[in-house]
Amino acid sequence: MPSTPEQTPRITVEERLFSLVLALIATEIGLTKSDILSTVQGYRQRYLSGGDNANLERQFERDKDDIRELGIPLETVEPQDDPGNNHLLRYRIPKGLYNLPADVSFSPDELMLLKLAATVWREGSLSAESRRALTKLNSLGVDSSDPVLGYAPHLRARDASFAPLSKALDHGQVVAFLYLKPGESSPRRRRVAPRAIVLHGGRWHLYGTDQEARAPRTFLLSRIVGPVVTVPGETFIPDGEGSGRQALDELDALWEANVAELVVEPGSDAAVRLSKRHTGGTGPGTMAAPDAVTPDAGTLHAVTLHYTDIDILADELAGYGPEVLVRSPLALRQAVRTRLVGVRDAHTGTTRGSAA
Amino acid sequence: MTARTPVLGASDKLTFLLSLIPYLMDHDNVTVTEAAGHFGVPPERVRDAVRLIAVSGIPGETHQYLDGDLFDIHWDEFEDNDRIALTHLVAIDDSPRFSAREAAALIAGLQYLSSLPENADRDAVASLMAKLTRGASATPTQLAVSSPDSDAAMTVIQASGRDGVQVEFDYLNARGENEHRFVDPLRLESVDSDWYLRGWCHLRQAPRTFRLDRMSDLRATTEPVGSHDAGLVLSDTLFQASDEDLSVVIELPSSALALLADYAPDRATTPVGGDRVRTTLRVAHYHGLKRLVGGLAGLVTVVEPAEARQVVAEWAAAGAARYDEPTGRA
Repeated sequence: MPSTPEQTPRITVEERLFSLVLALIATEIGLTKSDILSTVQGYRQRYLSGGDNANLERQFERDKDDIRELGIPLETVEPQDDPGNNHLLRYRIPKGLYNLPADVSFSPDELMLLKLAATVWREGSLSAESRRALTKLNSLGVDSSDPVLGYAPHLRARDASFAPLSKALDHGQVVAFLYLKPGESSPRRRRVAPRAIVLHGGRWHLYGTDQEARAPRTFLLSRIVGPVVTVPGETFIPDGEGSGRQALDELDALWEANVAELVVEPGSDAAVRLSKRHTGGTGPGTMAAPDAVTPDAGTLHAVTLHYTDIDILADELAGYGPEVLVRSPLALRQAVRTRLVGVRDAHTGTTRGSAA
Repeated sequence: MTARTPVLGASDKLTFLLSLIPYLMDHDNVTVTEAAGHFGVPPERVRDAVRLIAVSGIPGETHQYLDGDLFDIHWDEFEDNDRIALTHLVAIDDSPRFSAREAAALIAGLQYLSSLPENADRDAVASLMAKLTRGASATPTQLAVSSPDSDAAMTVIQASGRDGVQVEFDYLNARGENEHRFVDPLRLESVDSDWYLRGWCHLRQAPRTFRLDRMSDLRATTEPVGSHDAGLVLSDTLFQASDEDLSVVIELPSSALALLADYAPDRATTPVGGDRVRTTLRVAHYHGLKRLVGGLAGLVTVVEPAEARQVVAEWAAAGAARYDEPTGRA
């Protein structure tokens, strides 16, 4: 630990951050970095007048990032007469941008719904975000209606890539990751400018611009098999609102256009589950008719399914083994057959020591 | 140098401090218990926060954090009666905005909930989302959830729960057995797009979990639910491992391990050459295993026991054979 100029009780991280927020809200014209380090609680105790404060400066840089992550608008103001002079940069938090707008208020019923919405995220980074959002909602002092009893809806965002991708999305940073495309057996490195993360058909997708193809692509988070890293120096201007909706619309359109004809064994797992498959991604407000299940040639049932990705559907259908036979399209027929033959051959005969 | 300390705890505490102040302004002389109840936190957390707020403030003209630059509280009320009354305010007098990701988390949660039968009022949900967007300090992170259509089954179950009657349905379990069930509905749960009914099963005389997509011919009955459910405690986890689970050794590329997160509590792996590894899965029965391996074709191979390999091989062979049949049936 760096030596401290005077004997002081240990100041907690939250006290230092709280003091910094108060100081930056209270100032109109802003404080310079040396103002902050020498006077604000939690920094001043470690500040060496005329000495080397590099550690403390790094601490301030990290604190600034952490405060901004909480949605607190910490601004940097350049000196008008000497732009570019870092020593004269000033920092402040404009009160008008900090305060929740006066017209944003919630009724007890709305609060009840928001509380249920916050409990949806039980795992992953979004559960912490929801918890903090709820704390802020509670500061409004409204008591919620009685909670809806009997519901425990949960969304998992447990893919390890979820948190780094959503952060890169906010900051407009290009990311790189290894992607194991469905239907392929080895991963490939992709460079992507993320534009939205969407849940469609029960799967999380990243929608973004593939930097090599220079075109929009959709990736399954569950198929990102390595760490997500930001590409140094590669940034972009994040889209405004609407990318999420756009990504869902594109997936919906794809889903609508792709139709598979199957026959399923009556009474089997495939018959029960595939035939009542939610018609899926159609937009809010649209109630689609259930998929057709019609008696066919005595014992077999025909099922019509829409899908977004042929390889993902082929994976799923191969899992049903003999309970499903694909009639069309031909590419799906072949994809399922190839998978089943591969699994059969890999499990026939004695165990081999390792893969070929 | 020291590694970066995880700030999750500090971020939560800072958010609480900044949120507690405006609440206290509107609730003069509130008890610690009431404030803790409102925020859903332990009372000691409120006391800690109040102690910190009361000695915090701004450096002020003198840079000395003098009394007038600090928050203050009615100390006697606090120490003797466990009540909080702010007597001096500094810098803050309003609730903070949401961050882009906080607003996004709530908006996506609302999109997900809009498939519940009672949230059919889409306009109300849309207006709520608009308010969250306005209350955020930046454009909410582009996070969207396609809301599945309301399921007719959910409406039946929800109505039965409200009316206190049993539901009945045919249920095909994971082993492929079909049985008619009478169930007292207790709770609707979901994980992503899969919905489950937790309830008291009259056939098994025990609490059971049912997948909605494995039910057929679901109906509300006129039979009232049993009275046992008052003291019935449902466990928090949908699925539980059992001592009777079977161990299966599989081989797969290490990069594909993440795809099996739900099945591999045992993280130990043995490298076998190339990037392939072996690991052990716990499964309730081979019926589930053959479907799992079939659905991860080309990635996962069962190594042992031989019986498991055979079950998988026969399943896949039977499936493949269907494509060799004369085209008449297909």
